[in-house]
Amino acid sequence: MGGDKKRSKGLPEYLELQRTHVHCGPDVNKHTTTFTSANVFEPLCIDNSWNLEAFKSDLQIEVNHLDDEVMEFDLIGVDPAIANALRRILLAEVPTVAIEHVFMINNTSIMQDEVLSHRLGLVPLRVDPKLFDFKLAEEAPSEKNTVVFKLDVRCTRQGTRLINDKVTSNMLQWMPAGSQLPEETSCRFTQGQAHLVPSQQEQKGKKFMAPVHEDILLTKLRPGQCIQLEAHAVKGIGKTHAKWSPVATAWYKLLPEVVLLTDDVPESVAKTLLDAAPGLFVRKPDGKLAVTNARHHEKHLEKVRVLLDQEAIAQVVQYRKRKDHFIFTIESTGILPPDVLFEQALSILHDKAEQLANKL
Amino acid sequence: MFSQDVFDELPSVLPVEQADEEMGEALEHSVQQQQQEAHAQEEEISQEDAWAVISAFFEEKGLVRQQLDSFNEFVSNTMQEIIDEGSEIRITPENQLNPGGTDEGAEKEYKIKFGQIYLSKPLVTEHDEETDSLFPREARLRNLTYCAPMYIDIEKIEITRTPEGDSNEDVTKYDKVFLAKVPIMLRSTFCSLHDCSDKELTELGECPYDQGGYFVINGSEKVLIAQERMANNHVYVFKKSQPSKYSFVGEIRSVLENSTRNASTMSVKMLTKGVKKGSAAGSVIRTQIPYIRADIPILILFRALGFVADRDILEHIVYDYNDTEMMEALRPSIEEAQPVQSQELALDYIGKRGSAIGVTKAKRIEYAREILQKDDRDHYANKRMDLGGPLLAGLFRLLFRKLCKDMRQYVQRCVDSGKDINVPGAVKTQTITRGLKYSLATGNWGQQGQQGLRSGVSQVLNRLTYASTLSHLRRVNSPIGREGKLAKPRQLHNSLWGMMCPAETPEGQAVGLVKNLALMAYITVGSPSAPLLEFLDEWTTEYLEEIAPSVIPQSTKVFVNGVWIGIHREPQTLVRTLRHLRRRVDINTEVGVIYDIPLKELRLFTDYGRASRPIFVVDNQHLLIKKSDIIKLQQSEGTSYGWNDLVSNGYIEYVDTEEEETTMIAMNIKDLAAARQNPQGAYSSTYTHCEIHPSMILGVCASIIPFPDHNQSPRNTYQSAMGKQAMGMYCTNYQHRMDTQGFVLYYPQKPLVTTRAMEYLKFRELPAGINAIVAIACYSGYNQEDSLMMNQSSIDRGFFRSIFYRAYKDEEKKQGSMSREEIELPNPDNTMGMRHGTYDKLDEDGLVPPGTRISGEDIIVGKTVALPEDPSGAVQRFSKKDASLALRGQESGVVDQVMLSTNDQGQKFVKVRMRTVCVPQVGDKFASRHGQKGTIGITYTQEDMPFTSEGVVPDLIVNPHAIPSRMTIGHLVEALMSKVAALIGSEGDATPFTDVTVENISHALHGLGYQCRGWEVMYNGHTGRQLQAQIFLNPTYYQRLKHMVDFKIHSRQRGPLQVLNRQPVEGRARDGGLRFGEMERDCIISHGAASFLKERLFDQSDAYRVHVCEKSGLFAVANLKKQQFSSQIYKADSNIVQVFIPYACKLLFQELMAMCVVPRLQFGKTK
Repeated sequence: MGGDKKRSKGLPEYLELQRTHVHCGPDVNKHTTTFTSANVFEPLCIDNSWNLEAFKSDLQIEVNHLDDEVMEFDLIGVDPAIANALRRILLAEVPTVAIEHVFMINNTSIMQDEVLSHRLGLVPLRVDPKLFDFKLAEEAPSEKNTVVFKLDVRCTRQGTRLINDKVTSNMLQWMPAGSQLPEETSCRFTQGQAHLVPSQQEQKGKKFMAPVHEDILLTKLRPGQCIQLEAHAVKGIGKTHAKWSPVATAWYKLLPEVVLLTDDVPESVAKTLLDAAPGLFVRKPDGKLAVTNARHHEKHLEKVRVLLDQEAIAQVVQYRKRKDHFIFTIESTGILPPDVLFEQALSILHDKAEQLANKL
Repeated sequence: MFSQDVFDELPSVLPVEQADEEMGEALEHSVQQQQQEAHAQEEEISQEDAWAVISAFFEEKGLVRQQLDSFNEFVSNTMQEIIDEGSEIRITPENQLNPGGTDEGAEKEYKIKFGQIYLSKPLVTEHDEETDSLFPREARLRNLTYCAPMYIDIEKIEITRTPEGDSNEDVTKYDKVFLAKVPIMLRSTFCSLHDCSDKELTELGECPYDQGGYFVINGSEKVLIAQERMANNHVYVFKKSQPSKYSFVGEIRSVLENSTRNASTMSVKMLTKGVKKGSAAGSVIRTQIPYIRADIPILILFRALGFVADRDILEHIVYDYNDTEMMEALRPSIEEAQPVQSQELALDYIGKRGSAIGVTKAKRIEYAREILQKDDRDHYANKRMDLGGPLLAGLFRLLFRKLCKDMRQYVQRCVDSGKDINVPGAVKTQTITRGLKYSLATGNWGQQGQQGLRSGVSQVLNRLTYASTLSHLRRVNSPIGREGKLAKPRQLHNSLWGMMCPAETPEGQAVGLVKNLALMAYITVGSPSAPLLEFLDEWTTEYLEEIAPSVIPQSTKVFVNGVWIGIHREPQTLVRTLRHLRRRVDINTEVGVIYDIPLKELRLFTDYGRASRPIFVVDNQHLLIKKSDIIKLQQSEGTSYGWNDLVSNGYIEYVDTEEEETTMIAMNIKDLAAARQNPQGAYSSTYTHCEIHPSMILGVCASIIPFPDHNQSPRNTYQSAMGKQAMGMYCTNYQHRMDTQGFVLYYPQKPLVTTRAMEYLKFRELPAGINAIVAIACYSGYNQEDSLMMNQSSIDRGFFRSIFYRAYKDEEKKQGSMSREEIELPNPDNTMGMRHGTYDKLDEDGLVPPGTRISGEDIIVGKTVALPEDPSGAVQRFSKKDASLALRGQESGVVDQVMLSTNDQGQKFVKVRMRTVCVPQVGDKFASRHGQKGTIGITYTQEDMPFTSEGVVPDLIVNPHAIPSRMTIGHLVEALMSKVAALIGSEGDATPFTDVTVENISHALHGLGYQCRGWEVMYNGHTGRQLQAQIFLNPTYYQRLKHMVDFKIHSRQRGPLQVLNRQPVEGRARDGGLRFGEMERDCIISHGAASFLKERLFDQSDAYRVHVCEKSGLFAVANLKKQQFSSQIYKADSNIVQVFIPYACKLLFQELMAMCVVPRLQFGKTK
């Protein structure tokens, strides 16, 4: 924050604010557009053309939080187009491996074959997509493009207890040697896939070539019912089917800012603000009103927004958002860590840009 | 309708405790009184407590009580009564010509008496006469009829009378003779499932949520639709011959069927010319109306009814003023009525001729006015409903009479020919069995082949959604005037409050004629009037025969079921005791007591088919039910304290439509409290009753709507119709059923926002929808005109996926001994007429195995008919003909289940069930619960959808234009409440007529850190920029409707033609053409595209070539192969012309010729 002032293009202050910030009102968010074209400010004799050097120096990424599944970081100094491209690629174009074909040998459960297969497809599998090729429609399944899993469960009664009455994802067995029904599935491996499992230390206690979560309930059985099937997983992208999307979701929001426009706030207004959003508004030792960082008080922001339709408050407080500061969150399905996903997304974007550049 | 002051005059219309005097010993009395006083001191219940009462009601009654009660009443009482009605057949031998024989002299008489009937549990009789107990599941699967055999005791009495006058009776008893098989209503007392626990039901393959109330006839479930009826009002016109005063008489008899109520006759009469003493033209028209003895000139009646000007009256009689003949015929009548020129005068004229003689003119006018306006035809008190029981009773009576007639004929024949009478053999068991089955199976009520029978009485039970099944079981139909454009009977009448749902009625032709019972409505089953008559006798009612006419005006007339029994001098005490006894169940609770003070009438009703409903009894502005009773109800586990106790304690009583008019009902419990606190400001100071809950006025379908009280009323009607098409889970045993069609949602969800009534409708257990995240936005415009944008990623993850089941049925039919069908894999070498579909999917046994993928016209059951052998003995290539069953074209899926069984004739019987997955796609139909339906316009993947600052992406985007003009505020309130419910993790309560306000909900939402009106800041998924407007994004419960494009998509280039006129057939199922109709024709004409028009209507339809003899203009004989043409009339003498005409035209010509009309084609000279 504050560092952006040097990037100011010398516009009058109110225009500069419109360029850099969305102004949030009680009903409408004003100035949501971004001024990308070079000549928008031409009448003011100001050049708005894009400047690589400036971009380079302005671009900033700060990781706020990172674990196996979620990453939150600030992406500062880019156009929404870039942030959005990354988001879209994460959702739709980073490949993963998911179950695509299910060969039912026996299914006496109450769940229909189609429903069970659909559920299997949605199970995230910890299989590194880099190790596999995309399987083209005309291609035969092989160890290069297919991972085979087997599910063989029978529910039995043992005294009063039921064994296997819940079919969970950990019951999916990986078949490194390939399909056991090569005739039916036309899937033949010339060599096994056992070598694809990373070494012990690389695994870091995670089970590879298996579902990410062990406890996903696939279906339930009653004594005597059984399920026997073979599931073939292939590589794909989220655009084709959501099951290949590597993220639960990925999104960003703009950085919120709450600003006091004047130093001496009328006491009645100060009181309303303090009541509505304690913590966001504080009293300085000298008794004057001050605002803390808005992003730490998100639950209060809506309360501030409602107050803005009161004239007295709108004159004192402004609620706005930085247009080039994105708080980006990636929620991975657990197949790949979110930081890896972001890297892959960047490289896909890079490839796309390169392709475009080559064609230009 | 009573005015307020009537009640003010009578502060003690309903005192209860005072009538305690006759309650027995003093000591016991005082203890009781103390208890009662203590009870009365207690705290008043709250509106919330009323729900405990409602729960008790549904626990006791269920949702199809009317059906079950009515059937039970039929079997346990009515059937025996019908048998007893005409129980004796008396036969005397007719004198036979007995040449040479000696007269024996003894006179013989035979009597056959029917006695007790017995009904067993439902049974099947297999073709080999073996019987076994039958359960509904088997009946449904094997297409059997769920019926129980009925037996009857018959007595034969042979009376021999010798000429000496001695008589000798010889009695033979036949016990339990098989009489008929009676279809049994499921879950009635006579059903095998009666009193089964949920576990037992599940083990029997039944859905524990199924309520019964229907029949199983030949495997299909049939509901009897309650029939609403009135007097059969027919106009009869008679021409009278000379001696009569009148030349024409038109009569209308208003009669209540099966009722002892007097027929009310009105007639219009035209006098014969010049009979009346010298009146100018003579043939005047008079009318006779009830209560008035003298004939009234028709014009005066019209004036009394408010049509004063001659012109107005004429307009109603003669529609065309130029019709001079009619005008002339009316002239004498107009002249006769000349002196009476105003409504007042006319009324007075009529009043003078009634029984109000010797009173003031004003009163006379009032009296006449009353007569003319007396009955409101659409008032629900004037309606009766025939439910299953009475309908079956009528049919049974008819069939039993027929059986008796047949039996009589048979016995007569036996007697006449001197044979022994085989009584059990004389009982034609098929008469009643077949008759009942026929009517229940077809819905044609009455005997087969009879004229004017009612149709549509029995319908196939709708099994689309659980709610649609329930609603179907509570439907009421008014058979009158479907075509008639009379609006009145269709309108919502005030008296329907609490009896019929105000929202649930179909749109279009049957609007308002088909109704649905409100949730707590109760239809009386009828009780004998004898106990009531006895009571009235005890309570000093003076019988009509014993009184002088002069005392009538001072006392109150007493009617029972419309019959004037007598008079009573202290009606108030009588009414008080009657009501008191009814509240103690000493008199049947369903008896209606109407004390009409202005008319001085006390009307009592005990008949069946009246609509009534339970309401709280109020005394002295206090509810009689107290908090302790609610606590007892809530802790009823061990004590079984329930609804019946509430009724027998007199806290609640059933009030029928007519009695309702004599009550003062408080809408809420709060109103009573308010009335106590501030009697001046209260609506009434004499409340007699209080509603249990106002939301109980709604029916099954309308009870599913959240916040219906915030919607424009037609929207609730639309939703009531649409809720029946929603997919969900229609019963829990769908995998064990072979329904012809079934839709099941993959992942149905219970709604986030519910109504209290849903608890009783089991909507949480068997839901029909999904809580979707809905944004109201335009976004890209692919949701215009009621279309929706759907999130493709959500669809991928299983959003609104459904399974469609279709069952096919086939059986080996036997036609004589010659042609036998056999289910087998047809062999193309010896089978002729094989289909184009593939037979490869059939197994050895001729059936597709489960799990097979099938599509198009694949054969699913292979069947052949053996061809009769060639009499000449020649060796034939084919010995069989194919009769296989193919899958419907256009459909595809997987074989889900195959059932192999035998039918009741012991023939092989197969049902094959197919299953298809229906993934939502562009064109599929969805709806919220507020009559907001739409089809998918586009599907967007997650990255294209807008997202909120929390990363939430909508599942659906609805266009905002769907809201303002439709005013479905309930939709928005539901959405808002859903968000709160989702955030705090609880259900929202959207029951109508409660204190929930939008402000409450908004406040709760704001407290959770969200925009109070449910708006969200969103980012455009395509551009990534923040949207200027904030978007209303909330969860909303959406339904998937059964209409899907894949079942509708259709096109054709060439295809099958109709046999008769060689035009393309109609309908998608037959691969028919798309009609190029009149309006399309008009468009093309105005466009001037004549050639195109000819192509559509002729070349692409039924173009045909004929050869015509030029001379005669008639079709000629043409042999195209030999190029020989000849006229049939002029032989070779004429030119033959080749003409292209539509085949329909050729057909017309030939049909005309068959009628001896010659259509000749003439040919102009062409250059």
